[in-house]
Amino acid sequence: MRYKRAELILSLAILFLGIAVAIGTSQLSSAGGYARIGPNVAPMIISGGLILLGAWLSYEALSGGWRNAVPDDPEARGEHPIQASAFVWVSAGLIAQIFLIHSAGFVLAQAALFLCVARGFGSVKFVRDFAIGLVLGLGVFLFFVKFLNVNLPAGWLQPLLGGAGI
Amino acid sequence: MTEAFGSLLHGFSIALTPFNLLWGFLGVTLGTFIGVLPGVGPALTVAMLMPLTIKLDATGALIMFAGIYYGAMYGGSTTTILLNTPGESASIATALEGNLMAKNGRAGPALATCAIGSFVAGTIATILVTLLAPVVVEVALKFGPAEYFALMIFAFTTVSAVIGSSTARGLTSLFIGLLLGVVGIDSQTGRSRFAFGVPELLDGIDVVVLAVGLFAVGEALYVGAYASRLEEKLEQLKGSLWMSKKDWQRSWPAWLRATAIGFPFGSIPAGGAEIPTFLSYATEKKLTKYPHEFGHGAIEGVAGPEAANNASVTGALVPLLTLGIPTSATAAVLLSAFQNYGIQPGPLLFQMQGDLVWGLLASLYIGNVLLLILNLPLVGMWVKVLMIPRPLLYAGILVFATLGAYSLHQSVVDLVILYIFGLLGFVMRRWGIPVAPAVIGLILGPLAETQARRALAISQGSAAVFVTQPISASILAVSFLLLIVPLIVKLVRRH
Repeated sequence: MRYKRAELILSLAILFLGIAVAIGTSQLSSAGGYARIGPNVAPMIISGGLILLGAWLSYEALSGGWRNAVPDDPEARGEHPIQASAFVWVSAGLIAQIFLIHSAGFVLAQAALFLCVARGFGSVKFVRDFAIGLVLGLGVFLFFVKFLNVNLPAGWLQPLLGGAGI
Repeated sequence: MTEAFGSLLHGFSIALTPFNLLWGFLGVTLGTFIGVLPGVGPALTVAMLMPLTIKLDATGALIMFAGIYYGAMYGGSTTTILLNTPGESASIATALEGNLMAKNGRAGPALATCAIGSFVAGTIATILVTLLAPVVVEVALKFGPAEYFALMIFAFTTVSAVIGSSTARGLTSLFIGLLLGVVGIDSQTGRSRFAFGVPELLDGIDVVVLAVGLFAVGEALYVGAYASRLEEKLEQLKGSLWMSKKDWQRSWPAWLRATAIGFPFGSIPAGGAEIPTFLSYATEKKLTKYPHEFGHGAIEGVAGPEAANNASVTGALVPLLTLGIPTSATAAVLLSAFQNYGIQPGPLLFQMQGDLVWGLLASLYIGNVLLLILNLPLVGMWVKVLMIPRPLLYAGILVFATLGAYSLHQSVVDLVILYIFGLLGFVMRRWGIPVAPAVIGLILGPLAETQARRALAISQGSAAVFVTQPISASILAVSFLLLIVPLIVKLVRRH
């Protein structure tokens, strides 16, 4: 029988997500007070729904593929074949931001994000991109800290930013 | 009717105070600017700009949001026509003829019919909202928890199962949103659910984080992977911006018909501006005296869908304001903006916070006028925005989008969740799972759960309450039929 592997994997993921929710739900209290339905009822319905939908999608995946599916050929979607490096660079930027924001600070984290995303989209002017990212990050930082009174982490630039931020 | 008029006049006295006027102006300008950026739709625009309103009072902030909401829509049509990259599904119909007109050197009239059509449809729809909202409020005041629960189930059904290419995938998206909605402290019993001991999860997952994750991070991952190396063709804006007399004659009936199609779709909780835009396109194609022009850039084919989009988006304010039910991803983000100010839209809002509601409605009239002024003469400036190189554009979008998610709680956990939602958004986009139902499910799920429990508390635990009360029973029956009938029809056809 012909089937599409990615679709089947996704369908089974939904099915297992439903089962995981059911297991998690069994640990929730069923005491519901006057309403007689406790905090476990909604998750139970949701897990049931996910299991049914996972089964439904698996059936579709095994019987010729999901109905009205998006074409697998990028050209049919008006796109180019997958450029994995772009995906990796954008991800790298976001992960760098997660690690940098509370150490190096907001401005440098945003500059790193900017640099990586621009690289992912094909830019090779690293110095220019990093500089733009720095200026953007600094502008946003000052606007938020000075004008909106929202504290953003200054990090390594603390001495330069003169006590602004946290 | 006269009462509504009096309230509206009072609303204008609030919306026209210098500061509120300024917030409205800032809102439409920023909304247009961000909305013009390719790949950024209205939902993301509102989510991204949310932190900017942190210093404003509730009325000022919501006036600014309404401006952003409208502005993002006007701005989006410029991108749709000149670049042929609709930022949201409701702009696809506009792109069909609009981009062809631009290719034939008629970008000016195409943009003009969009802007003026949006103004006409937006203004008529706002008048209808003004007249209709108090009526709905009267009815809604009689609703109990069972009726609200039924209405929310109806909204769930229409946004996930009825709209879109696949019922199974629409419902899957909805249930993912519902699942995210139960994370955190249960509002009724105070027990934590699915928080896995992470303190940041106890407050629940913010709609803004989900919207930014799906629409900005997911989009950047997807476009980077599949479309970052494509050549894009920006159509030139040359010649006159003005529409000829013939353009006017062909446009105005289309605007009016589209308003009549779009508004009802927006105002019943049926969700999505996508269907009315295509309906309007089909109507204009059928009624036109110039059928040979369709497929080569017919102005009715631009005027209609764009006006239908605007009328339907404005109509969506009726269920949002009077019932607290969002019917699009953008409305869901707007609802979360209300909730940030501790405001729960619904019939009581009209009674308790009349100043806010009527000030907001009045600002919609003003916003439409401002947008007409901003858009036509300044279109040259907006076109320059489209010339920003893609690498810098997407890097900038992510810098601001992640800022929007991070500044909510200054929490790294939000950034981690954001990235996970980005991966989810990538998968959903690649395999054709719609994202709007997830966003709506996240915000509406907990509200539906609360209403269900209230109804059951009143009935002392008897679930019959949902089917013995006529209004609730009929809404549930209609929802059930909407879900089941298409499936049965399909099965019968096959055999």
